[in-house]
Amino acid sequence: MNKHFPMSRRGFLKLGGSTAAVASALGASRLEAMEQELGGKDFSPVTGKLREAVPYTCLVCNIEDGGIAYVEDGRIVKLEGNPDHPGNRGKLCAKGNSGFLHTYDPDRIMTPLLRTGKRGEGKWKRISYDEATTMLAAKLREVIDRSVKANDPAIRNEIVFKWGRNRTGGAIQRLMGAMGSSAMVGHTNICESSKKIGLEPSWGPDIESADFQNTKYALIFGGNVTETAYFHNPNAQRLVDGVVGNKAKLVYFDPRHANTAKIADEWFAPYPGTDGAVALAMANVIMNEKLYDDAFIRTWTNVTPEQLTAHLKSYTPEFAEAESGIAAKDIRRIAREFATTKPATTFSYRGPCKHVYGSYQEAAIHMLNVITGNVEKKGGYCLPRGMGYGQPGPKPAGGKAASILGAPPTYPLAGHQVSTHMPYQLMKGDAKCSVLMTYYDNGAYTYPSSHVWEALLKDEKLIPFYCSFSPYMSENAELADLIIPDTTYLERWDPESMPSDLRPWLGIRQPVIKPLGNTQEWRMTAIQVAAKLDPDGSLGIKQYLNFKDGEEWVRAQFDGIPGLKEDGGFDYLKKNGVWPKYGKIDPVTGQIVDKNGDEVPADYGLHMKELSAAAMEGTTVEANGAIKKGGKTVGVRINGKNHAGFGTGSGKIEIYKEGWKKYGFNPMPVYKRLPSRDKKADELVLITFKVNVHTQSRTASVKYLAELYHKNPAWINPKTAAAKGIADGDLIRVTSTVGYIVTRAHVTEGIHPDVVAISTACGHNSYGRLAQLKMKEKPADYMLGGDADIDNNVWWDDKGVHPNPIIKLSVDPIGGSQGWYDTVVTVSKAQPTDKYGDVKASVEASMKDYEETLRLAYTGDLHKANHKEVDIDWAHLPELKAGGGH
Amino acid sequence: MQTLIEQVAQGARLDECRAQSALFRLLARTLEYEVDEAFLSHLRNDLLEALAEAGAELPEDMLSGPSDALFEKLAVEYTALFVQPGAISPYASVFETGSMFQEQCDRAARWYQENGFVFKHRYSGEFPDHVGTMLSFVAALFEREAQALEAGEEGNAEEIRQSRERFLIEELGSWAPGWAKLAAQAAQHPFYERMLGLVERVLWDELTQVVPPRRMRELTEKNSRGPTVIKKDPGFRKASGL
Repeated sequence: MNKHFPMSRRGFLKLGGSTAAVASALGASRLEAMEQELGGKDFSPVTGKLREAVPYTCLVCNIEDGGIAYVEDGRIVKLEGNPDHPGNRGKLCAKGNSGFLHTYDPDRIMTPLLRTGKRGEGKWKRISYDEATTMLAAKLREVIDRSVKANDPAIRNEIVFKWGRNRTGGAIQRLMGAMGSSAMVGHTNICESSKKIGLEPSWGPDIESADFQNTKYALIFGGNVTETAYFHNPNAQRLVDGVVGNKAKLVYFDPRHANTAKIADEWFAPYPGTDGAVALAMANVIMNEKLYDDAFIRTWTNVTPEQLTAHLKSYTPEFAEAESGIAAKDIRRIAREFATTKPATTFSYRGPCKHVYGSYQEAAIHMLNVITGNVEKKGGYCLPRGMGYGQPGPKPAGGKAASILGAPPTYPLAGHQVSTHMPYQLMKGDAKCSVLMTYYDNGAYTYPSSHVWEALLKDEKLIPFYCSFSPYMSENAELADLIIPDTTYLERWDPESMPSDLRPWLGIRQPVIKPLGNTQEWRMTAIQVAAKLDPDGSLGIKQYLNFKDGEEWVRAQFDGIPGLKEDGGFDYLKKNGVWPKYGKIDPVTGQIVDKNGDEVPADYGLHMKELSAAAMEGTTVEANGAIKKGGKTVGVRINGKNHAGFGTGSGKIEIYKEGWKKYGFNPMPVYKRLPSRDKKADELVLITFKVNVHTQSRTASVKYLAELYHKNPAWINPKTAAAKGIADGDLIRVTSTVGYIVTRAHVTEGIHPDVVAISTACGHNSYGRLAQLKMKEKPADYMLGGDADIDNNVWWDDKGVHPNPIIKLSVDPIGGSQGWYDTVVTVSKAQPTDKYGDVKASVEASMKDYEETLRLAYTGDLHKANHKEVDIDWAHLPELKAGGGH
Repeated sequence: MQTLIEQVAQGARLDECRAQSALFRLLARTLEYEVDEAFLSHLRNDLLEALAEAGAELPEDMLSGPSDALFEKLAVEYTALFVQPGAISPYASVFETGSMFQEQCDRAARWYQENGFVFKHRYSGEFPDHVGTMLSFVAALFEREAQALEAGEEGNAEEIRQSRERFLIEELGSWAPGWAKLAAQAAQHPFYERMLGLVERVLWDELTQVVPPRRMRELTEKNSRGPTVIKKDPGFRKASGL
């Protein structure tokens, strides 16, 4: 008993116990957990002061989520998702949350560096941005002067620009166009270009928006939605909404048990490169069992159900089973489920398309949605919604001479270039380069047979001058003559739009802090170079880059967007980050809701929209219903109504692609058995994969992410491993015809027995201290305040081994995409002299691969042999014409 | 009225302040920017003997001869040591937190501002917590102290002295000597190796003067932080991130 109170402690507790029962009825306290706030504002935990909040658009990967940066004392202290953003709905992934570490990376290049030693020797001296831009301008001027003197515009194509992640909204193309060079080489053929080429001639856009959230059945082929695939964070949210909230069934096909398999109802591991056979067999079942949408096929496609049934006849489930290893009964069952569950959608990413003939596989998967009538339905397979922004006038006309670099005329259908071929073309003398510039590009790490890029960049005869705009010392940048570092994405201006939601949006990337340490964004560098290259404007270049700074340039890009001006224009975007604002996020459901709490609906049936009288003005209607204006199809007339239709020549979905047939390819979706399918019994197919906390190549130096994932052992099935005498953790040698790597085995059931899988993002030879791991931070105890969690911050000593050097160059002759998953390897226990991380790769072997893959092109000797079924005049295929791609 | 003894002591202190200011200015100049013609001329002529006596003898290749190649060589070494990725980052923020432009930077800037200085960069990528800039601040405070003494402003001089010592202990004492030791180990040109060695010794010497012995143990421990591995081969330096 306490002398001050006539009640014992026990008595107090009894009162407390009784109160607990009615506590919630006592009403809210004035104290509320911070986490209950929706976001959009943040406070310093030390001073309690409201932090400055600046909206921006993420660019750690290419999904362009909306974010808010919190700034304190001029420093970014935290990033979080923008709750007004319809795409990511207030959430960022691990990569996005860690993004500010790019800005403060101690290994960031903060001043232009001029090479002084041999290429790659690592000897530099710092120079100013002024000196650096003067130097680059002089190099460019030399080429342009030669072109003027010789009156030969083709000489300007010796100015070559190679980019990786280019989100400049056309700024690079504008600079190159102003200089009159067509030699622009993107990176899309190592990304998903054969998916794009499988889709574009089919229905217009290059990707689908699968309405996972509202679907009842999702069939995913080789697209690890919950971790990495296109629209990663937005799609992951929507897939979970669909599977958990809408009780949709999810069936997942992937040779590797990725995290998406973990939330799937069923996971199947097909043999790599056989997804197309499975999709065609499903289509076969749907057609034969009359489960298709007859009206949709007849109305909205350029084929009939009868034609489709006939075409698919040989693709039986038994055939697909023999190719893929997926049981025919499962293929039949899933086909029936897919066709009879409404709404349903497929989604596919790199798994099916990153093979030779990957375009066919993508087209086959797309067709499943078409024949079941799921296109543009709520919960179905929808057209992507984006918003456009152009370059301001006056616009440069561009190069007068076509460049074959990265866009070989032997790949006329590869609308997204064949960038893998660039080094081989230069090495063989098919093209010439005097000045190479690279932006967000690291070919010596990210490309198949990456050693070939290294060899190219080291060769001063082939690349006499190389300027990198990288803010990091990447494998490529190490080989540059001049580095003019760009800022990080949190310090610069770009326009953005990405179809990550069915409600279209326009976003802005703006500097959330001033460029750190007076570095300058690439736009400023381009403006300065143009001014020095053409000081008096006599070359006609300066006029196209006559901007005060990046902000003025991007502001001009947003001018004239219908509706934006009325809402406040550019300043609205600066304040809010994204436009329009559809509503607020419901904190419980995570959905965007209106004032009444109802979800803001998306618009469906875009192809059905009727064209206005104004839109019909000056149009003509062709016999097949295509509505034409200025030579372009703007819609399609069906049953007397003028619809928006699809982005094809006929305005309908073109399952039959006349354009493919012209070059001897099958106009219909087909399956082509790949050489990897005929590998020897003891060989394996090497596949790669991306992990959820890293990009392919740019995040290994980010502390938070490196700690989460830093080594990439080779996934191998227990049965396969046992047959080879390999145990988990063993040192192994993975050998292809290009060379070998020495890595470690991760023995797991989660991989097809005929496959070995190695992730990207690891095994850098450059890119800063954490990526290379040549030292380890070891802070003293006093720094840690006794917190064991952060003791020995860098506790790992394994940076992984990158598989790219041994991956064969192998290109889809239609879409031009690299066949990342077509390399056959042997896996064995390491030899006694092998050391972890050993890499040996042969340039000569890769040169042979180049010649070999050209044989598959429409001009190659294997093309006809692989397309005997195509009925055309093989003696008169179209002639080679440079300048393809876009 | 000062006694004769006080006057002598003040004169000695004035001389010491002037000498220390010059010494810290020299060290700051070495670390802040590459060697140029004017600096080389000072090193070759006015400072040659004094440097040798201080244990930082000017290397053979810097004593005479054409300068352009030498400037280039020293600029490359300077860039490798202090500027490019993999450098021994000269910023307090990086040493203490592993990131650029952190609180250490704000603190340094505040010190400068409170004492009437503004940080101005010459190249991009320069921050107020650069060790060379911090040494130049120490030099400036020594100089102000000398000026105050010369003007007979004893109280003002004392205030400046306390300020300088506090800056030295709080902002440099826990990391800069250790950083200089590491940098000297990584240097591949004897000029930087010796000058960085001198930075370490000068800082320890100065700290010993102003820090109580018990605190010195803590500072010694703090300065022993750093990577366990330092190799002099180019491959290691390429992006070792010391």
